[in-house]
Amino acid sequence: MKRLGVLLCAAVLAGAARYEASSPESEAFTQPIEGLDAERAASFRKGGGIFRQAWIIGPSQDHPDFVGVGPLYNRLSCIACHVKNGRGVAPDKENGVARTMAARLSVEGKDAHGGPRVHPDYGAQLNPEGVPGVAGEGQAVVEYAEFDVALSDGGRIALRRPALSFRKLAYGPLGPETKISLRNAPPVFGLGLLEAVGEPEILAGKGRPNFVFSVETGERTLGRFGLKANQPNLEQQIANAFAEDIGITSSLFPAENCAPTQSECRRGASKPELTDAQLDAVSNYIRALAPPARRNLEDPRVKDGESLFHQIGCSDCHRDALHIADFPLQPALNGVEIHPYTDLLLHDMGEGLADDRDDFEAGSRDWRTPPLWGLGLAGKGGDGANFLHDGRARTPAEAILWHGGEAQPSVDAFRALPERQRGALLAFLNSL
Amino acid sequence: MTRAIVAAAFSSFLSVFGAVPSAAADNETIIVVTSFPEELTTRYEREFERSHPQIHVQFVWKQSRDALAELTKPEQGGADIYWAPSPANFALLRDRGAFRKISIDRAALPGRLGAQQLSDPAGFYEAYDVAGYGIVASPGALASAGLSAPRRWRDLASPEYARRMAMPVASKVGFSPALYDIFLQSEGWAEGWRLLSEMAGEATLLDSGFAPTASVREGKAALALTIDFIAEIARANGALVEMIYPEGAAFLPAHVAMTAGSKHVAGAQAFIDFLLSKDGQQLMMERDSRRHPARPDAYQDAPEGFANPFTLPAPTTLDYDWEIGRRRPPLITVLFDLAIVEGHAESAELWRKIHDAEKKFAANAKAMALIGEAKKLAAFVPVSESDARATAFLERFSRRDAIDPQQIAQWRDDIAAARRQARELVKSLEPAP
Repeated sequence: MKRLGVLLCAAVLAGAARYEASSPESEAFTQPIEGLDAERAASFRKGGGIFRQAWIIGPSQDHPDFVGVGPLYNRLSCIACHVKNGRGVAPDKENGVARTMAARLSVEGKDAHGGPRVHPDYGAQLNPEGVPGVAGEGQAVVEYAEFDVALSDGGRIALRRPALSFRKLAYGPLGPETKISLRNAPPVFGLGLLEAVGEPEILAGKGRPNFVFSVETGERTLGRFGLKANQPNLEQQIANAFAEDIGITSSLFPAENCAPTQSECRRGASKPELTDAQLDAVSNYIRALAPPARRNLEDPRVKDGESLFHQIGCSDCHRDALHIADFPLQPALNGVEIHPYTDLLLHDMGEGLADDRDDFEAGSRDWRTPPLWGLGLAGKGGDGANFLHDGRARTPAEAILWHGGEAQPSVDAFRALPERQRGALLAFLNSL
Repeated sequence: MTRAIVAAAFSSFLSVFGAVPSAAADNETIIVVTSFPEELTTRYEREFERSHPQIHVQFVWKQSRDALAELTKPEQGGADIYWAPSPANFALLRDRGAFRKISIDRAALPGRLGAQQLSDPAGFYEAYDVAGYGIVASPGALASAGLSAPRRWRDLASPEYARRMAMPVASKVGFSPALYDIFLQSEGWAEGWRLLSEMAGEATLLDSGFAPTASVREGKAALALTIDFIAEIARANGALVEMIYPEGAAFLPAHVAMTAGSKHVAGAQAFIDFLLSKDGQQLMMERDSRRHPARPDAYQDAPEGFANPFTLPAPTTLDYDWEIGRRRPPLITVLFDLAIVEGHAESAELWRKIHDAEKKFAANAKAMALIGEAKKLAAFVPVSESDARATAFLERFSRRDAIDPQQIAQWRDDIAAARRQARELVKSLEPAP
């Protein structure tokens, strides 16, 4: 009997793969899921190299595999915006340049697939840089106006409202009808686990799904990734980012990111610059990046804060438990409960966060609930500690106070909490 | 292209822009050709633009051959600055007239490290940092094996480190040809190859720059040859490793220069001034860069345990020969593949037998003489020291596509023949069946 117990225990342990990684704070977002086999570990390293690689204006004798940046682009590499695999860094007050952010652009109406209709002169996103002979489109500049929000106990918290403007627009004025959404680079760890959550479990949540266009299948598909859940899977999310942010074409996005009126831009070659093998490697790298392990679980304040998180309704959208349905990279995780604190669905976040820009079935006030795992480690590795879609919140408390719409009752409850309980709630968030 | 031709091509720019304007124009963009990693360049971009909000820095990423091609074009691809760890390129481009002189504060930037010249004496390019080449070690792994840390390069060939070493492959890892050249300059050409062969015989060979440090961090090796900042970044991020600079180690510079054709001279000079300022130099020591400034006063707030090459004891650093160093790495790359990488498993077996024989016949002078001969043959490289110092000979290997395949085939045969003889010598020591 004792021997059977030991065997059972061993079997349970063998099957109990961890989905979180423990590591020094500065490397918290760079670790792979445990137990990758040798081939997947090699692919992880290769994909990580591509993620950090600066792309090249061709031709190249040294790196012919990394040629093709532009003609228009934001940055040369993925890591330039997703700093240390975390959030982008908010603009500095000295110049306001939005380096790790993208200004998404569109005009009224929808494209052939139900997505936003891109701007006729600037395309889907403002690209500040251009290769020789192609003028960069201009710079997005952010200035902040501060104002205070009062709490019920007399305390006050300063919030900052971003005001976006543009400098050196090279292709004419944007026009008053242009819809603009400023997006800070989000963290990229844990996404493989979110991709592995079963669709029925997501649809059982309390939010609204965004059904979007799958480039690969041509079908209307549940969106999971992107700040408005406008991408259905990691390959499409990543290939789209390569195309829009770095100007790198792929089999999924074979056309250069040139607007119809940008004649110099459209002269460039547009063969797939990111090979399918490279896209696979980067996708598998992102897929295998583990979320960091939680800390201070036994701290009574953290436990109190977790209870409050549920009591005031945060967990209605920031769901604390989802389950891995199918995770081929590490099948031992199938069936495992994970704690990303998201439901991957859209919610009305109110006028304060609205961007006046629809994206498939997401309205201007709708945002996908962002995962909260790793929140307490934001900024510890040189990444940005800026929250919400445009990085306007400098602390989790500021981020909470910006919530509106469906979240208004939770915000009101947060403002009404005594200081000690507010502190406990924030201690819980800091433990994630 | 000769210096005169390139200089003539740039003359039209110089006539218009030769005089240094007093201030950078508003809203100007300066283009910087670099091969530094994005994590480093973006830090400099951000900090520079904070203090110079009227200037935008655009990076164009090019490694050595691509940068050389770009910067020898008539208009130099519109570049204003070249900033890279590629000493040979800087010397070549200076000789071709691709740079203009920059102003340097010599009181703060010595341009030398001991006897070693870091910067261009004529003032066309300046050292930005120095990278040390040495050994990354796991103190824990060495202690648990009862081993002390090596103090000299040649210590690494000791049999006690066999099977505990990792080495980068010269043709796969960008920093390693220079590393092996430092080793060979320090230990001598022939003796250096003997030591390298003996070390490599039972070492793990690795094909990426991060792999030596990773192998030590992960406990797969106790020691590995590396460039220092990779090990220092790992240490700064919690890895239990340390960087050892053995006697005869060297610190080689990366440089910055302004192109002759720059149309933004004041802006370019401002960026160069920032790179070389105390603040700019201290940026490179941040946790995810951990490079060594070329400016001594930048070490004032250096991280704990971070070596200052300007204050290391004299025997630590080699008086590196730049004229050899700028030409020899391509030859080393070819020879490393032929003599170390090809037939590595067979070589490992041969070196195991040699080491076993050394233990067995330690008291037998005649046998030890034979073993000595076997070691020379096992480590044979078919290039003499005089050829390995001759400019004309080294130039034959400067372009990979110009290397004579018949020559390579001959060398391959010569190495194989020497190894066969070595095996026969070792076998002759074994008792007849």
